[in-house]
Amino acid sequence: MKLSAYPAFTHSAFQSRLAYRNQVWANAFGDLVNVFARIAIWSAAYAGMTVVDGVTLPEMVTYAVLVGTVLRWDHARLLHEVGDAVRTGDVAVYLLKPLHYPFAILASHVGHYAFSFVTVTIPVVLIVGFTAGLMPPASLFHAALFPVFWLLSWLVMFCIATLCGLLAFWLLTAFSLEWFLMGIMLLFSGAVVPMWFLPPALATLFSYLPFAWVHYYPAAVYLGKLDPTSTWLHLGMGLGWLALLAAAVAWLWSRARHRIIVQGG
Amino acid sequence: MQRPLVVIPHLVRMYVRTRFEYPGATMLGWLSQIVAYGGIYTAIALIVTRFGNLGGWIWPEMALLLSFHLLAYSLGASFSFTQFRDIEEKVRLGTFDAVLVKPIGAWTYLVFSGINIGYAGHVLLALGLMAWSLPQVGADWTPLTVLFFLATLVSSAAMVCATMTMIGATALVWVKSSHLYSIFFGFWELARYPLQIFPFPLQILMLTFVPLGFLAYVPVAVALGKPVALLGSAAPLAALAIGPLWVLIAMAHWHYCLRNYQGAGG
Repeated sequence: MKLSAYPAFTHSAFQSRLAYRNQVWANAFGDLVNVFARIAIWSAAYAGMTVVDGVTLPEMVTYAVLVGTVLRWDHARLLHEVGDAVRTGDVAVYLLKPLHYPFAILASHVGHYAFSFVTVTIPVVLIVGFTAGLMPPASLFHAALFPVFWLLSWLVMFCIATLCGLLAFWLLTAFSLEWFLMGIMLLFSGAVVPMWFLPPALATLFSYLPFAWVHYYPAAVYLGKLDPTSTWLHLGMGLGWLALLAAAVAWLWSRARHRIIVQGG
Repeated sequence: MQRPLVVIPHLVRMYVRTRFEYPGATMLGWLSQIVAYGGIYTAIALIVTRFGNLGGWIWPEMALLLSFHLLAYSLGASFSFTQFRDIEEKVRLGTFDAVLVKPIGAWTYLVFSGINIGYAGHVLLALGLMAWSLPQVGADWTPLTVLFFLATLVSSAAMVCATMTMIGATALVWVKSSHLYSIFFGFWELARYPLQIFPFPLQILMLTFVPLGFLAYVPVAVALGKPVALLGSAAPLAALAIGPLWVLIAMAHWHYCLRNYQGAGG
């Protein structure tokens, strides 16, 4: 199959989301509540203190907003999709087509993400920015590198979620995988607590795992918590993790497609 | 009246048996949910211990709040969530009509033919965390306060079940209602924290139209003798009343939606 065919999956995913407009309002409202809640939680935690561990409250609020909106990836959708395809047998249809299943999922989820980004993320960031206040990037250098880390974050999360999704070929369900991944991401990625508030041993351990490139490092780069040398170093390490995860996806897919047991159909 | 009493145990037994057709997947599901909730609770514990407290609540008090939240939710949701979430698809495909012609009430059939034992992991974690936190919080436990604590747990669970019923029933009229679950779970996450840390309009909302402030915060604050935001001395009575009140509203809503159901599939 020509590479030019994959954008059709992206377009189709985007179009399919247009059919459920109530879902857009509900998601935007849910995200707004979630972000304001994160701000309230950190404001309550600071309780009058201006700086904790070198981090100010406005910086922490910005971190919470970035992690809760721009860096919020819907990995559950991907796992549901793969889990349903395995459970219903629809995955067999994909195998009959001249395409690479993980690439098709990637193209499809670019469409889903683009839709969410335009209809939910941007409006929510604008509303929160104007009401609660959002700090600008720490410098031009950090502003320039943030989109790179943001893209890296999306791709790393995609690979992690796809790896989990492919495990459904063995377990025949993605339900428990989704919950395991949720627990891991909540704790290890800095989605709730950034590394600078963790006990040193945990912070050191978590900061080397790939999950940190999904939430912690992009937000830390935006806030200027990494100097230029360290930013380049962590970009290189992130790319290394991405290459490793992509290779793992390719290897797992090569194993998974040889042991498909179609239950439905 | 006798027919449901005879049928209900059969419905429950059948569903449990189908779930245990795949015992490995069931156990893995329980374990994965314990890991997921363990992840968020650890994160909250790290915040509370690092900053000393959250809105005046120290970690053992927060642990009691979290455990009550999880236990009340899982008890209520096991009777309602998956059952009413799936109504939407039944309406879309037209299979809800088959539920309506069964010789047993539609609500009774839906609830008891899908009692979700998948929440066992939630219950285990909640009971474990509660058992750890109860001796730590230093509350004055008398038979009356224990009774109050248990009664509010039932009331909160009933409120969850009633809310799920209302959201699911809405699909009978709107065909789609899954987006309302997104809103519900947005507020449900907030209900893990002391209510007073949130902006005033959100506090009002969580004690009125989306009364998830009663899910854990109000009953636990009363049990711990803490001042309750907005409700003050009316909090104990309100915590007991919310469940029955919400059930009555849900019954009215369910019957209204059933009367106005026209089907969407075929």
